[in-house]
Amino acid sequence: MMLNLRPEEDKELREILTSIADESKSKIVLLIDKSGQLISRSESPAFSSDDVTFASLTAGNVAASEALSKLLGDKSLNHMFTETEDEGIYMIVIAEKYILVSIFDKVSTNLGIIRVKIKKYYDRLEGLMKRIEERAEKESSMPADINIEDIDLDTLFE
Amino acid sequence: MPFVNFATREINCKIVYYGPGLSGKTTNIKWIYDHIKPENKGEMITLATETERTLFFDFVPIEVSNVKGFKVRFHLYTTPGQIIYQASRKLILKGVDGIVFVADSQEERHDANLDTLDDMIENLEDYDIKIENIPLVFQYNKRDLPNVLPVEVLRRDLNRWNRPDFEAVASKGFGVLETFKEITRQVLKKLKK
Ligand SMILES: Nc1nc2c(ncn2[C@@H]2O[C@H](COP(=O)(O)OP(=O)(O)OP(=O)(O)O)[C@@H](O)[C@H]2O)c(=O)[nH]1
Ligand SMILES: [Mg+2]
Repeated sequence: MMLNLRPEEDKELREILTSIADESKSKIVLLIDKSGQLISRSESPAFSSDDVTFASLTAGNVAASEALSKLLGDKSLNHMFTETEDEGIYMIVIAEKYILVSIFDKVSTNLGIIRVKIKKYYDRLEGLMKRIEERAEKESSMPADINIEDIDLDTLFE
Repeated sequence: MPFVNFATREINCKIVYYGPGLSGKTTNIKWIYDHIKPENKGEMITLATETERTLFFDFVPIEVSNVKGFKVRFHLYTTPGQIIYQASRKLILKGVDGIVFVADSQEERHDANLDTLDDMIENLEDYDIKIENIPLVFQYNKRDLPNVLPVEVLRRDLNRWNRPDFEAVASKGFGVLETFKEITRQVLKKLKK
Protein backbone atom coordinates (compact mmCIF):
# COMPACT_ATOMS: atom_id res chain seq x y z
CA MET A 1 0.00 0.00 0.00
CA MET A 2 1.13 3.51 -0.72
CA LEU A 3 0.24 6.11 1.87
CA ASN A 4 -0.75 9.51 0.56
CA LEU A 5 -2.12 12.72 1.99
CA ARG A 6 -4.80 14.94 0.43
CA PRO A 7 -4.45 18.68 0.99
CA GLU A 8 -7.36 18.78 3.46
CA GLU A 9 -5.85 15.88 5.43
CA ASP A 10 -2.46 17.53 5.44
CA LYS A 11 -4.11 20.66 6.82
CA GLU A 12 -5.95 18.83 9.56
CA LEU A 13 -2.82 16.93 10.57
CA ARG A 14 -0.83 20.14 10.76
CA GLU A 15 -3.53 21.73 12.86
CA ILE A 16 -3.50 18.91 15.38
CA LEU A 17 0.28 18.84 15.59
CA THR A 18 0.43 22.61 15.91
CA SER A 19 -2.17 22.58 18.71
CA ILE A 20 -0.16 19.96 20.59
CA ALA A 21 3.02 21.98 20.10
CA ASP A 22 1.42 25.26 21.21
CA GLU A 23 -0.40 23.89 24.22
CA SER A 24 2.52 21.78 25.44
CA LYS A 25 5.07 24.50 24.64
CA SER A 26 7.09 22.05 22.57
CA LYS A 27 9.66 23.43 20.16
CA ILE A 28 8.23 21.19 17.49
CA VAL A 29 5.95 18.18 17.12
CA LEU A 30 6.60 15.74 14.28
CA LEU A 31 4.63 12.82 12.92
CA ILE A 32 6.75 10.19 11.20
CA ASP A 33 6.17 6.64 10.07
CA LYS A 34 8.11 3.70 11.43
CA SER A 35 10.15 3.36 8.25
CA GLY A 36 11.59 6.82 8.93
CA GLN A 37 9.60 9.11 6.66
CA LEU A 38 8.42 12.46 7.86
CA ILE A 39 4.65 12.71 7.39
CA SER A 40 3.83 16.05 8.95
CA ARG A 41 5.05 18.63 11.45
CA SER A 42 3.69 21.45 13.54
CA GLU A 43 4.04 25.02 12.30
CA SER A 44 7.23 25.72 14.19
CA PRO A 45 9.37 27.98 12.07
CA ALA A 46 11.92 28.43 14.82
CA PHE A 47 12.95 24.78 14.66
CA SER A 48 15.83 24.75 12.24
CA SER A 49 17.35 21.26 12.45
CA ASP A 50 17.03 18.99 9.45
CA ASP A 51 13.65 17.39 10.12
CA VAL A 52 14.06 14.70 7.45
CA THR A 53 17.25 13.41 9.05
CA PHE A 54 15.68 13.77 12.47
CA ALA A 55 12.79 11.54 11.35
CA SER A 56 15.11 8.83 10.10
CA LEU A 57 17.09 8.75 13.34
CA THR A 58 13.97 8.74 15.50
CA ALA A 59 12.54 5.79 13.59
CA GLY A 60 15.85 3.94 14.00
CA ASN A 61 15.84 4.69 17.68
CA VAL A 62 12.27 3.49 18.19
CA ALA A 63 12.86 0.40 16.02
CA ALA A 64 15.90 -0.57 18.07
CA SER A 65 14.04 -0.04 21.35
CA GLU A 66 11.06 -2.02 20.14
CA ALA A 67 13.33 -4.89 19.15
CA LEU A 68 14.95 -4.71 22.58
CA SER A 69 11.66 -4.82 24.41
CA LYS A 70 10.57 -7.79 22.30
CA LEU A 71 13.78 -9.52 23.22
CA LEU A 72 12.93 -8.96 26.85
CA GLY A 73 9.55 -10.56 26.29
CA ASP A 74 7.51 -7.39 26.32
CA LYS A 75 4.90 -7.33 23.61
CA SER A 76 5.10 -3.76 22.52
CA LEU A 77 6.77 -0.49 23.17
CA ASN A 78 4.39 2.43 23.45
CA HIS A 79 6.57 5.38 24.19
CA MET A 80 10.08 6.47 25.06
CA PHE A 81 11.97 9.45 26.30
CA THR A 82 15.51 10.70 25.71
CA GLU A 83 17.06 13.87 27.00
CA THR A 84 20.06 16.07 26.61
CA GLU A 85 21.10 18.66 29.13
CA ASP A 86 18.65 21.27 27.81
CA GLU A 87 16.15 19.37 25.70
CA GLY A 88 13.76 16.48 26.01
CA ILE A 89 12.58 14.23 23.17
CA TYR A 90 9.39 12.31 23.80
CA MET A 91 8.22 9.67 21.31
CA ILE A 92 4.91 7.85 21.33
CA VAL A 93 3.56 5.25 18.92
CA ILE A 94 0.27 6.11 17.18
CA ALA A 95 -1.95 3.54 15.45
CA GLU A 96 0.93 1.04 15.53
CA LYS A 97 2.59 2.43 12.40
CA TYR A 98 3.44 6.00 13.28
CA ILE A 99 5.52 7.87 15.82
CA LEU A 100 4.61 11.22 17.30
CA VAL A 101 7.64 13.14 18.50
CA SER A 102 7.80 16.19 20.74
CA ILE A 103 11.04 18.08 21.13
CA PHE A 104 11.01 20.51 24.00
CA ASP A 105 13.12 22.85 26.03
CA LYS A 106 13.30 21.70 29.62
CA VAL A 107 13.11 25.24 30.96
CA SER A 108 9.87 26.03 29.09
CA THR A 109 7.91 22.87 29.84
CA ASN A 110 8.23 19.32 31.18
CA LEU A 111 7.47 15.72 30.32
CA GLY A 112 4.25 15.68 32.36
CA ILE A 113 2.72 18.55 30.42
CA ILE A 114 3.83 17.07 27.11
CA ARG A 115 2.17 13.77 27.91
CA VAL A 116 -1.08 15.37 29.08
CA LYS A 117 -1.37 17.46 25.92
CA ILE A 118 -0.60 14.55 23.63
CA LYS A 119 -3.18 12.49 25.46
CA LYS A 120 -5.78 15.16 24.79
CA TYR A 121 -5.29 14.86 21.01
CA TYR A 122 -4.28 11.22 20.81
CA ASP A 123 -7.66 9.77 19.78
CA ARG A 124 -8.28 12.44 17.19
CA LEU A 125 -4.86 11.90 15.66
CA GLU A 126 -5.21 8.15 15.64
CA GLY A 127 -8.68 8.40 14.10
CA LEU A 128 -7.42 10.73 11.40
CA MET A 129 -4.50 8.45 10.47
CA LYS A 130 -6.81 5.47 10.26
CA ARG A 131 -9.20 7.41 8.02
CA ILE A 132 -6.35 8.45 5.76
CA GLU A 133 -5.15 4.86 5.49
CA GLU A 134 -8.59 3.60 4.59
CA ARG A 135 -9.05 6.23 1.93
CA ALA A 136 -5.54 5.70 0.51
CA GLU A 137 -6.15 2.00 0.24
CA LYS A 138 -9.21 2.55 -1.91
CA GLU A 139 -7.80 4.90 -4.49
CA SER A 140 -4.77 4.89 -6.68
CA SER A 141 -2.53 7.58 -5.47
CA MET A 142 -0.30 8.75 -8.26
CA PRO A 143 -1.32 12.26 -9.26
CA ALA A 144 -2.14 12.50 -12.93
CA ASP A 145 0.02 15.55 -13.44
CA ILE A 146 3.23 14.01 -12.26
CA ASN A 147 5.33 12.80 -15.08
CA ILE A 148 8.02 10.49 -13.81
CA GLU A 149 9.94 10.71 -17.07
CA ASP A 150 10.75 14.35 -16.57
CA ILE A 151 12.53 13.78 -13.30
CA ASP A 152 16.08 14.36 -14.42
CA LEU A 153 18.62 12.76 -12.13
CA ASP A 154 21.54 14.26 -14.03
CA THR A 155 20.67 17.66 -12.65
CA LEU A 156 21.41 16.32 -9.16
CA PHE A 157 25.13 16.01 -9.66
CA GLU A 158 27.88 18.54 -10.00
CA MET B 1 6.14 2.07 1.15
CA PRO B 2 6.29 5.33 -0.81
CA PHE B 3 4.58 8.30 0.76
CA VAL B 4 2.89 10.99 -1.33
CA ASN B 5 1.80 14.35 0.03
CA PHE B 6 -0.49 16.16 -2.40
CA ALA B 7 -0.50 19.34 -0.35
CA THR B 8 3.25 19.85 -0.30
CA ARG B 9 3.62 17.97 -3.61
CA GLU B 10 6.22 15.54 -2.35
CA ILE B 11 6.91 11.87 -2.85
CA ASN B 12 9.20 9.93 -0.50
CA CYS B 13 10.90 6.65 -1.39
CA LYS B 14 13.29 4.45 0.57
CA ILE B 15 16.25 2.75 -1.09
CA VAL B 16 18.40 0.29 0.85
CA TYR B 17 21.96 -0.78 0.00
CA TYR B 18 22.36 -4.36 1.19
CA GLY B 19 25.37 -6.68 1.04
CA PRO B 20 28.07 -8.47 3.02
CA GLY B 21 30.48 -6.73 5.36
CA LEU B 22 33.06 -4.48 3.66
CA SER B 23 31.49 -4.89 0.21
CA GLY B 24 31.36 -1.11 -0.25
CA LYS B 25 27.81 -0.06 0.67
CA THR B 26 28.88 2.92 2.71
CA THR B 27 31.42 3.86 0.02
CA ASN B 28 28.60 3.95 -2.56
CA ILE B 29 26.30 6.30 -0.72
CA LYS B 30 29.17 8.44 0.56
CA TRP B 31 30.27 8.96 -3.04
CA ILE B 32 26.75 9.91 -4.04
CA TYR B 33 26.50 12.30 -1.12
CA ASP B 34 29.82 13.94 -1.98
CA HIS B 35 28.84 14.52 -5.60
CA ILE B 36 25.31 15.83 -5.19
CA LYS B 37 24.73 19.56 -5.35
CA PRO B 38 24.27 21.07 -1.89
CA GLU B 39 20.73 22.26 -2.69
CA ASN B 40 19.65 18.69 -3.46
CA LYS B 41 20.77 17.01 -0.28
CA GLY B 42 20.13 17.05 3.45
CA GLU B 43 22.39 15.93 6.23
CA MET B 44 24.16 12.57 5.99
CA ILE B 45 24.01 10.38 9.08
CA THR B 46 26.56 7.67 9.79
CA LEU B 47 26.11 5.33 12.71
CA ALA B 48 29.43 3.51 12.69
CA THR B 49 31.96 1.90 14.99
CA GLU B 50 35.35 3.47 15.66
CA THR B 51 36.76 1.39 12.83
CA GLU B 52 34.19 2.80 10.38
CA ARG B 53 32.14 -0.35 10.13
CA THR B 54 28.45 0.46 9.89
CA LEU B 55 26.84 -0.23 13.25
CA PHE B 56 23.21 0.51 12.49
CA PHE B 57 22.82 2.43 9.24
CA ASP B 58 24.01 5.30 7.06
CA PHE B 59 21.42 7.70 5.75
CA VAL B 60 21.48 10.17 2.85
CA PRO B 61 18.40 12.24 1.96
CA ILE B 62 18.22 13.44 -1.64
CA GLU B 63 15.65 15.77 -3.19
CA VAL B 64 14.86 16.27 -6.83
CA SER B 65 12.16 18.49 -8.31
CA ASN B 66 10.59 18.18 -11.71
CA VAL B 67 9.46 21.07 -13.85
CA LYS B 68 5.93 20.98 -12.52
CA GLY B 69 7.22 21.49 -9.01
CA PHE B 70 6.72 17.98 -7.77
CA LYS B 71 9.47 16.98 -5.40
CA VAL B 72 10.77 13.44 -5.09
CA ARG B 73 12.79 12.53 -2.03
CA PHE B 74 15.01 9.48 -2.12
CA HIS B 75 16.14 8.27 1.26
CA LEU B 76 19.22 6.11 0.87
CA TYR B 77 20.12 3.70 3.65
CA THR B 78 22.91 1.18 4.05
CA THR B 79 22.66 -1.88 6.24
CA PRO B 80 25.48 -3.12 8.48
CA GLY B 81 27.01 -6.11 6.66
CA GLN B 82 28.65 -7.86 9.59
CA ILE B 83 26.91 -11.08 10.56
CA ILE B 84 26.31 -10.01 14.16
CA TYR B 85 24.04 -7.17 13.05
CA GLN B 86 21.34 -9.38 11.56
CA ALA B 87 18.62 -7.87 13.76
CA SER B 88 19.48 -4.32 12.70
CA ARG B 89 19.50 -5.23 9.01
CA LYS B 90 15.94 -6.37 9.27
CA LEU B 91 14.80 -3.16 10.96
CA ILE B 92 16.25 -1.05 8.15
CA LEU B 93 14.36 -2.97 5.48
CA LYS B 94 11.07 -1.79 6.93
CA GLY B 95 9.12 0.11 4.29
CA VAL B 96 11.78 -0.42 1.59
CA ASP B 97 10.91 0.59 -1.99
CA GLY B 98 14.06 -0.53 -3.78
CA ILE B 99 17.23 -2.49 -3.06
CA VAL B 100 20.81 -2.30 -4.32
CA PHE B 101 22.66 -5.50 -3.56
CA VAL B 102 26.36 -4.62 -3.34
CA ALA B 103 28.39 -7.80 -3.78
CA ASP B 104 32.11 -8.13 -3.12
CA SER B 105 33.66 -9.56 -6.29
CA GLN B 106 36.58 -11.17 -4.50
CA GLU B 107 36.58 -14.94 -4.64
CA GLU B 108 37.05 -15.36 -0.88
CA ARG B 109 33.98 -13.21 -0.21
CA HIS B 110 31.64 -15.15 -2.42
CA ASP B 111 30.21 -17.27 0.38
CA ALA B 112 29.50 -14.09 2.28
CA ASN B 113 27.66 -12.72 -0.78
CA LEU B 114 25.50 -15.83 -0.95
CA ASP B 115 24.76 -15.92 2.77
CA THR B 116 23.82 -12.24 2.78
CA LEU B 117 21.50 -12.69 -0.17
CA ASP B 118 19.73 -15.53 1.66
CA ASP B 119 19.49 -13.37 4.75
CA MET B 120 17.99 -10.55 2.69
CA ILE B 121 15.38 -12.78 1.07
CA GLU B 122 14.39 -14.11 4.48
CA ASN B 123 14.10 -10.64 5.96
CA LEU B 124 11.98 -9.46 3.03
CA GLU B 125 9.67 -12.42 3.47
CA ASP B 126 9.12 -11.41 7.06
CA TYR B 127 7.77 -8.13 5.71
CA ASP B 128 5.67 -10.00 3.11
CA ILE B 129 7.82 -8.74 0.26
CA LYS B 130 8.70 -11.13 -2.55
CA ILE B 131 12.05 -10.48 -4.14
CA GLU B 132 10.45 -10.93 -7.57
CA ASN B 133 8.26 -7.89 -6.94
CA ILE B 134 10.66 -5.33 -5.57
CA PRO B 135 12.88 -2.98 -7.58
CA LEU B 136 16.36 -4.51 -7.35
CA VAL B 137 19.80 -3.89 -8.83
CA PHE B 138 23.00 -5.90 -8.40
CA GLN B 139 26.41 -4.30 -8.19
CA TYR B 140 29.62 -6.35 -8.43
CA ASN B 141 32.05 -4.13 -6.60
CA LYS B 142 35.82 -4.06 -6.13
CA ARG B 143 36.54 -4.95 -9.74
CA ASP B 144 39.98 -3.35 -9.35
CA LEU B 145 41.26 -6.13 -7.09
CA PRO B 146 43.34 -9.03 -8.48
CA ASN B 147 41.39 -12.01 -7.12
CA VAL B 148 37.93 -11.26 -8.45
CA LEU B 149 35.49 -13.79 -9.85
CA PRO B 150 34.33 -13.41 -13.45
CA VAL B 151 31.14 -11.37 -13.74
CA GLU B 152 29.37 -14.35 -15.32
CA VAL B 153 29.89 -16.36 -12.14
CA LEU B 154 28.64 -13.58 -9.90
CA ARG B 155 25.66 -13.04 -12.16
CA ARG B 156 24.77 -16.71 -12.27
CA ASP B 157 25.01 -17.20 -8.52
CA LEU B 158 23.53 -13.94 -7.28
CA ASN B 159 21.39 -12.36 -9.97
CA ARG B 160 18.97 -15.24 -10.36
CA TRP B 161 16.16 -12.91 -11.34
CA ASN B 162 17.93 -11.31 -14.31
CA ARG B 163 17.85 -7.83 -12.90
CA PRO B 164 20.03 -5.02 -14.20
CA ASP B 165 23.55 -5.37 -12.85
CA PHE B 166 26.73 -3.31 -12.90
CA GLU B 167 30.43 -3.73 -12.32
CA ALA B 168 31.89 -1.15 -9.98
CA VAL B 169 34.92 0.24 -8.24
CA ALA B 170 33.02 2.23 -5.68
CA SER B 171 36.14 3.64 -4.03
CA LYS B 172 36.89 5.40 -7.34
CA GLY B 173 33.26 6.16 -8.11
CA PHE B 174 33.08 3.79 -11.09
CA GLY B 175 29.63 2.30 -11.50
CA VAL B 176 28.16 4.12 -8.51
CA LEU B 177 26.03 6.57 -10.43
CA GLU B 178 24.85 3.98 -12.96
CA THR B 179 23.67 1.76 -10.12
CA PHE B 180 21.91 4.61 -8.36
CA LYS B 181 20.18 5.81 -11.53
CA GLU B 182 18.93 2.36 -12.35
CA ILE B 183 17.40 1.75 -8.93
CA THR B 184 15.71 5.15 -8.87
CA ARG B 185 14.39 4.55 -12.36
CA GLN B 186 12.86 1.24 -11.27
CA VAL B 187 11.37 2.72 -8.10
CA LEU B 188 9.76 5.61 -10.00
CA LYS B 189 8.45 3.27 -12.65
CA LYS B 190 6.82 1.07 -10.06
CA LEU B 191 5.34 4.12 -8.38
CA LYS B 192 3.62 5.06 -11.57
CA LYS B 193 1.79 1.77 -11.86
N1 LIG C 1 39.87 -1.85 -3.70
C1 LIG C 1 38.62 -1.43 -3.46
N2 LIG C 1 38.25 -1.12 -2.22
C2 LIG C 1 36.98 -0.69 -2.02
C3 LIG C 1 36.05 -0.58 -3.07
N3 LIG C 1 34.88 -0.14 -2.57
C4 LIG C 1 35.07 0.04 -1.24
N4 LIG C 1 36.34 -0.31 -0.90
C5 LIG C 1 36.96 -0.27 0.45
O1 LIG C 1 36.42 -1.34 1.22
C6 LIG C 1 36.35 -0.98 2.58
C7 LIG C 1 34.94 -1.19 3.12
O2 LIG C 1 34.04 -0.30 2.48
P1 LIG C 1 32.65 0.14 3.17
O3 LIG C 1 31.95 0.98 2.18
O4 LIG C 1 32.90 0.71 4.50
O5 LIG C 1 31.95 -1.27 3.33
P2 LIG C 1 30.50 -1.59 3.89
O6 LIG C 1 29.85 -2.48 2.89
O7 LIG C 1 29.79 -0.35 4.24
O8 LIG C 1 30.86 -2.43 5.21
P3 LIG C 1 29.96 -2.64 6.55
O9 LIG C 1 29.53 -1.30 6.99
O10 LIG C 1 30.82 -3.32 7.54
O11 LIG C 1 28.83 -3.51 6.15
C8 LIG C 1 36.79 0.48 2.65
O12 LIG C 1 38.14 0.52 3.04
C9 LIG C 1 36.63 0.97 1.22
O13 LIG C 1 37.51 2.02 0.91
C10 LIG C 1 36.47 -0.94 -4.39
O14 LIG C 1 35.74 -0.89 -5.39
N5 LIG C 1 37.76 -1.36 -4.52
MG1 LIG D 1 28.98 0.35 5.92
